[in-house]
Amino acid sequence: MKLELSEPLRYLGVRGSPDPALLEELSAVADKLTRSVTPRYVWRVFPLTHRAEGQALEGAGLTLAGSMAKRMLAECSQAVLLACTLGAGFEVLLRSEQARSMARAAMLDACGSAWAEAGCDSAGEEIAVRFPGRYLTDRFSPGYGDLPLAAQKDICAILDAPRRLGVQVTDSFLMNPSKSVTAVIGLSDRPQPARIRGCGFCNLREACQYRKGGNICGA
Amino acid sequence: MELDFLYDNITILDGAMGTVLQQRGLPPGGKPELLNFTDPDLLCSIYREYIGAGSQIVCANTFGASAPKLAGTGRTVDEVVSAAVAIAKDAAAGTDVKVTLDMGPLGELLEPLGTLPFEQAYEYFKEVAVAGEKAGADLVSIETMTDLYEAKAALLAVKENTKLPVFVTMSFEQSGRTFTGCTIPSMARTLEGLGADAIGLNCSLGPDLLAPLLRELCENTRLPVIAKPNAGLPDPATGTYDMGPEEFVQALLPCLDAGVTIFGGCCGTSPDYIRALSKALEGRMPAPRVYRSTGFVCSAMTPCRLDGVRVIGERINPTGKKRFQQALLEHDLDYILDVAVQQEDAGADILDVNVGHPGVDEAAMLPLVVKRLQSAVPLPLQLDSTNADALEAGLRVYNGKAAVNSVNGEQAVLDRILPIVKKYGASVVGLCLDENGIPQTAEGRVAIARRILDAALSCGIPAEDVWIDCLTLTVSAQQEQAAETLKAVRMVREELGLQVVLGVSNISFGLPNRAAVTRSFLTQAMAAGLTLPIVNPNQREIMDAVAAFKVLSGEDAGSRDYIARFAGAAPAPSTSAGVGSNLTLEDAIARGLEGDAGRLAREALQSQDELSLVERRLIPALDRVGADYEAGRAFLPQLLSAAQAAQSVFEVIKTSIAEKGGAPVKKGRFVIATVKGDIHDIGKNIVRTVMENYGYDAVDLGRDVPPEAILDTVREQNIPLVGLSALMTTTLPAMEDTIKLLHTLEKPPVIFVGGAVVTPEYAAQMGADHYAKDARQSVDIARKVFGA
Repeated sequence: MKLELSEPLRYLGVRGSPDPALLEELSAVADKLTRSVTPRYVWRVFPLTHRAEGQALEGAGLTLAGSMAKRMLAECSQAVLLACTLGAGFEVLLRSEQARSMARAAMLDACGSAWAEAGCDSAGEEIAVRFPGRYLTDRFSPGYGDLPLAAQKDICAILDAPRRLGVQVTDSFLMNPSKSVTAVIGLSDRPQPARIRGCGFCNLREACQYRKGGNICGA
Repeated sequence: MELDFLYDNITILDGAMGTVLQQRGLPPGGKPELLNFTDPDLLCSIYREYIGAGSQIVCANTFGASAPKLAGTGRTVDEVVSAAVAIAKDAAAGTDVKVTLDMGPLGELLEPLGTLPFEQAYEYFKEVAVAGEKAGADLVSIETMTDLYEAKAALLAVKENTKLPVFVTMSFEQSGRTFTGCTIPSMARTLEGLGADAIGLNCSLGPDLLAPLLRELCENTRLPVIAKPNAGLPDPATGTYDMGPEEFVQALLPCLDAGVTIFGGCCGTSPDYIRALSKALEGRMPAPRVYRSTGFVCSAMTPCRLDGVRVIGERINPTGKKRFQQALLEHDLDYILDVAVQQEDAGADILDVNVGHPGVDEAAMLPLVVKRLQSAVPLPLQLDSTNADALEAGLRVYNGKAAVNSVNGEQAVLDRILPIVKKYGASVVGLCLDENGIPQTAEGRVAIARRILDAALSCGIPAEDVWIDCLTLTVSAQQEQAAETLKAVRMVREELGLQVVLGVSNISFGLPNRAAVTRSFLTQAMAAGLTLPIVNPNQREIMDAVAAFKVLSGEDAGSRDYIARFAGAAPAPSTSAGVGSNLTLEDAIARGLEGDAGRLAREALQSQDELSLVERRLIPALDRVGADYEAGRAFLPQLLSAAQAAQSVFEVIKTSIAEKGGAPVKKGRFVIATVKGDIHDIGKNIVRTVMENYGYDAVDLGRDVPPEAILDTVREQNIPLVGLSALMTTTLPAMEDTIKLLHTLEKPPVIFVGGAVVTPEYAAQMGADHYAKDARQSVDIARKVFGA
């Protein structure tokens, strides 16, 4: 697993070639994070049935309604539910850093987001190895498109994430510890195109400073 | 229930309930507690299978029977618990099998990780425990805990509200820590101290991976130890566990030799596993146990074994420190946290915490400070007070095993404090003095130490938890006493074998070059047997002396720590960059050089008053960085570094004003909060940091703040500006509710809002006065409101 600094730089709103001192400090923060916190994840695969009311994960008691899930899983016969977290260890590190330096805390927060995504990537690779000959769709999460945030709670319950990862979902569908991700990945017999590109899939599209400035971030 | 039985025999528990129910059709994520009403016969038949397989204790189906977990089911705690216990008792009728009330985690994270207060968690557990005892449970099993703090809340709730014996098991990862970072020794010493009857590990891993952790647990407790592993690890493709009954039992048997006496199974196990287990353990007797009885204190994350010299930091103490006293009176807990962080960074092992000062309600303040410190500093704490109420309040909310400073040989003091120490499983410092004062001879002091030890032992406090302070007297006043103190240290160590504490710095009071005398005395005292020096760890030479001593005593094997301490000892660039150059205060702030900014501010105060330093130099410097930030020439980290350098300037100013006894510089107060339902607060903290360093005074209400709390604060303190943050679309309604409620005030405050999902359009729609896209804009809004 590798943490690319380009991601946290983007989260921090840094444009152009960053100041070497900033880059050095960010790199130190990233090192400290990756040395002390490892993303942990659990996943489980379920057979998929396409129904009028949505994409049903058989045996999970979960149906993903809406056009997002429909489009993403159109050619899939199975779907993987995934939860990944940096755990409470990250929160402890972040609080400790906030008590020392808010600047470094902001950097750590940005690195944490990227590190949790790296954990999901790693889970994706594991899934690909586990199902040779099958093709994975892009990973998509509650909050993307019309997939409701509420699905976060269902996914965590099905994966027993409170017990197996220490992840809780609050009544307002926030995950705690903060650097936690739930996601769905479809498995198909056919190669799957990249579908998740552009601002339409982003939670932050409304408030995004890049977008308001007429730019896109490249994700 | 006969507890002695647990020490002398092997006890068999049951296996999984959830797994068996899922095998029989309960979907993953379903609520097994509702089956107590819908299918009692199924539950009863599963218990009978477990009993037939050899279980001597079965768990009532109450793992999730707490109020937060039952929310939305339409069932009360009392209903679920009494139904569940009745079913298990029914199944056990006519046998010797006991029924245990199963208490799992609440499903909400406690503070500081989550927002559930410790006191509320206690109330939830109390409700379950009381219902369980009423329903006729024979004992209580607190299970699958990953947060030691939650386990403590549950254990206290059972101990204080029922007469039932109580088992506590926690879930660890292979790394030897729980999800929240708790270590095995921290768990063992804390829960034993709090009065658990047996402790152990359940869930998370199979017996093979749990075995080394169970061995470590057995070395760290005198209590019977419980093992309830999973049947290996689950297969993500099928959800089934990978170990069969025989393999499970074979992997579990080595735990018997390690000292485990209570066996059962968790996820993936079934009556077949328990049958195999009973058969394999039939006729087996408990193995002998070896307990490592060294002194010990800890937080959940940081065990501190007292098998060498451990430094107690003395700086959290208002005596003689005007700035600290002001922080206490103003409830400025961040200042106290800062003092703690400095000592942690300087290498202290334990922090003494004293918040006694005229005008401070110690019993209210001590628990607040304990919570705040433990939210960011992992070091164990020593609560320093003579106020029994304050000590009890502080120990109650402490996560881990704390120390109490102090008692002395006076019987009334021992009678008042020791029961509290015992109840919360703390260590205690005993001062070698009594109502007749300080004995002038070492023998006299040791006699008092002996009396304190006897009193502690008769109270049930083990000797390893008794620390003796042989008392340092000022050598310039009573020169012959230095030798007596050293002699007393030697005697307490050799004759009583106890930990020895000394407040070292006292020795040099009134002499020039105090550090030389203090350091020399410290070294002699450590040689005589001092194990717990109370010192100022920020004094480098003192910590150097400790590091050197550890090399000479052999504690620092291979001089590794000593070498590391002096490796690359070049000073950090952030404090050295400006030395010798013509760096201005403005540059130091812009470049985020905290140390230099503080130093230059002190110099500037020679020729400038505090207010003009803020207005003419600090604010323009911050504005310069702010302008660069807006122009895209500087970014968030640089903005925050500058804010932090500004903070060090403010600290210099506050200290200067506190010393003169003047009124603090305050440009206006604002309330800032993350709205109800929102628990992630770094964005809010960033805004607060920047605004504070422009001189605005923050009333930070934290996260997940109900609208009413914001209203009350605004009304009571007559605050003209409120900043609200929301991160998720799901919490925007809470933001709107807060704004509406504030608008019911006759003179509503100016409200600005921000956060990941907030837009200028939403802000206007919700009735906010301003949208702030970042910390920098928040400052501009404050300027409009406060006119400066």
